[in-house]
Amino acid sequence: MSLLELKNVSKIYGDLKALDNVNVHVDKGEWVAIMGPSGSGKSTMMNIIGCMDKPTLGEVLLDGVDIAKESSKKLTDIRRDKIGLIFQQFHMVNYLTAVENVMVSQYYHSMPDEQEALEALGRVGLRERAHHLPSQLSGGEQQRVCVARALINHPELILADEPTGNLDEANENIVLDLFAQLHAEGTTLIVVTHDPEVAEAAQRTIVLEHGKVAREVINENFEEQQKKWLARLIPGSKR
Amino acid sequence: MTKRRMFLRMITASLLRRRSRMLIALLSIGIGATILAGLVTIYVDVPRQMGAQFRSFGANMLVLSDGEEGMTKDQMDKALESIPTDQLVGAAPYRYIRVDMTTRQQSFTAAGTDFAQITRTSPYFSVEGRYPEKSREILVGKEIAETIGIREGSGMELTWQPTAGNTEGDPSKDRQPGAVLSGSAEGWSGGAVYVTVKLDDSAKIASLTIDAGTQTPEIGGLAQTDEAFTRQFIGKALPMTLGEDVDALSGATVTSTAVVEALNTARNTQSTAAAKTMKYTVTGILTTGGEEESYVFMGLEDMAGLTGSDAVDVAELSVSASAEELEAYAEQITENADGVRARLVKRVTRSETAVLGKLQSLVFLVTAVVLILTMICVSTTMMAVVSERRREIGLRKALGASDGSIRAEFLGEGMFLGLLGGVLGAILGFVFAQIVSVNVFGSSITFQPLLLPAAVLVSMGVAALSCLQPIKRAVAIDPAIVLKDE
Ligand SMILES: Nc1ncnc2c1ncn2[C@@H]1O[C@H](COP(=O)(O)OP(=O)(O)O)[C@@H](O)[C@H]1O
Ligand SMILES: [Mg+2]
Repeated sequence: MSLLELKNVSKIYGDLKALDNVNVHVDKGEWVAIMGPSGSGKSTMMNIIGCMDKPTLGEVLLDGVDIAKESSKKLTDIRRDKIGLIFQQFHMVNYLTAVENVMVSQYYHSMPDEQEALEALGRVGLRERAHHLPSQLSGGEQQRVCVARALINHPELILADEPTGNLDEANENIVLDLFAQLHAEGTTLIVVTHDPEVAEAAQRTIVLEHGKVAREVINENFEEQQKKWLARLIPGSKR
Repeated sequence: MTKRRMFLRMITASLLRRRSRMLIALLSIGIGATILAGLVTIYVDVPRQMGAQFRSFGANMLVLSDGEEGMTKDQMDKALESIPTDQLVGAAPYRYIRVDMTTRQQSFTAAGTDFAQITRTSPYFSVEGRYPEKSREILVGKEIAETIGIREGSGMELTWQPTAGNTEGDPSKDRQPGAVLSGSAEGWSGGAVYVTVKLDDSAKIASLTIDAGTQTPEIGGLAQTDEAFTRQFIGKALPMTLGEDVDALSGATVTSTAVVEALNTARNTQSTAAAKTMKYTVTGILTTGGEEESYVFMGLEDMAGLTGSDAVDVAELSVSASAEELEAYAEQITENADGVRARLVKRVTRSETAVLGKLQSLVFLVTAVVLILTMICVSTTMMAVVSERRREIGLRKALGASDGSIRAEFLGEGMFLGLLGGVLGAILGFVFAQIVSVNVFGSSITFQPLLLPAAVLVSMGVAALSCLQPIKRAVAIDPAIVLKDE
């Protein structure tokens, strides 16, 4: 079943077509990677899907609703209710502790629940660091807090823009493990990346070039990979 | 955890963990609130402070007797009941008489008073020597002291000559057969006319002398010499009416009226108290810069000893109150007290009101300026805070914060700062006002319990207003900022 559909979407800045007649289709529960050189329009596309920007032309159907036509207030509601965001720069509220940062997301969504927030931090292996400020956490730890924050409200869609761009190998693997789990739980994932390794973890890769979809690559090994991952994870050791 | 608790947790964390910037905002609100609270305290307290200062310029209310007889101590005390004791600075009674200094052939005005009260109602009186403390001690005005060469410690012999004006009771008692009566009355343009009559065996007028030397010689002055006029009084009884019993001197009705009035009020100089002479010691020379320098001052007991009466003519009151209050008190006295009336010394009360008004509008103006400066300062700081936190605001919006949430959070932070600043300001402001008061007015002030909630409310209001523009900025921030690579 389709969760997201971009139909003939263009985003035009003056003479520049950041997105040029893009057609993309993502099913519920799919794990899609978006690749492409710098300036090819990846972030522009993420902004539009994340309800933070509107296309110049075209339709963007999210759960059947054309978000290209909604008011910005409605877009805020949709973003809050359906989408979890993860950024390359981590982006935490720097005067709040890890658990408080997770609770901020709950606060805007519904009700802050410290217990649940602590459990989410446990899931990303940061239970012990819950009461540390961002400045006391490493980059990898901060990004894991951001993953916990993105999943706390059980969004249908997680959008990640270069989530591993600033991470070392070990932390990159942890984040990919978390994505694999989320995928197994049925969450739809759209991950923008430069890194072929990260793209290979996904079911399907859409390659953008000059604002156009250049090609799509299906990951033939995905089922196998996923099985391996889950086998490794289920014995239950926290990373 | 409720949303409200999370809200407070975020706000306090923002203020406590991002100290530097918020400290500046807190400081500016705190300083603003301090100055405001201080000024308002002074503003409220100024009338009291200045009132006390003004009281050193002398009495601002007079209580006078309605009649000729003067005012008794009871009447005066009754009048004073209308004024709250904490506002009554002092009440000095005065009785004025003429006394002669026989050895020098001089006469002066002598005032009987209460010296303890004088030091309160007329603190500007300056005495070289000391105020009288015992009986038979007097204070002499500088002018008298200079003309007759009297110094502190000198002796002074004063004589009181009873006159018609000084005699009490009913003049008809004195109209005995064979009595000699004398009297005076005011004639043409304030000049006195004196009469002396001798009564015959049936108490009718036997002979009459008129002294009209103060009247116009060729008109009223003729009352003294015109036989036709003087003769018509012989054989008549007192009192008499002009136009019925006797005719007026032609062209001199005023003088003629004065002659008749002098006759009707004439007293037996032998039967009233005889002239009395007392010896006094001068304890000090009085300098006031006013007419008091030509008076002799003695205690009320000494005055009674000399004249045989303890009535007073006037009481000078120094009351620490606003012009409206004073007016109300004066009315109340005139209404309630028997036979006395009160009036204000307008010259004093009016200038007090004017000075107070100016002082208060000055404080008001400074308050307004400080308020505006505080607002600018807080607003600028909050503006800097918003631009410093652009990414955080963008992130919050990306996480689903509505414009309302962003507004509430910044307003919440601002109001929290206002609360802290207000409490700080109320306390420091009181200290500030106290220092100003002690240094400028030389007296301390009491803490107004209302100051705390008022300061908190005002600074929260100022903080909220100052946040409006920065909040507008915050709300306008694009959440996509968080996805822009940096
Ligand atoms: N707000 C904007 N105004 C003008 N040009 C923009 C804006 N945002 C992005 N662009 C341009 O659009 C193109 C695509 O940008 P972006 O989507 O950020 O690329 P990527 O994320 O793939 O590196 C770039 O050439 C960029 O300069
Ligand atoms: Mg990008």
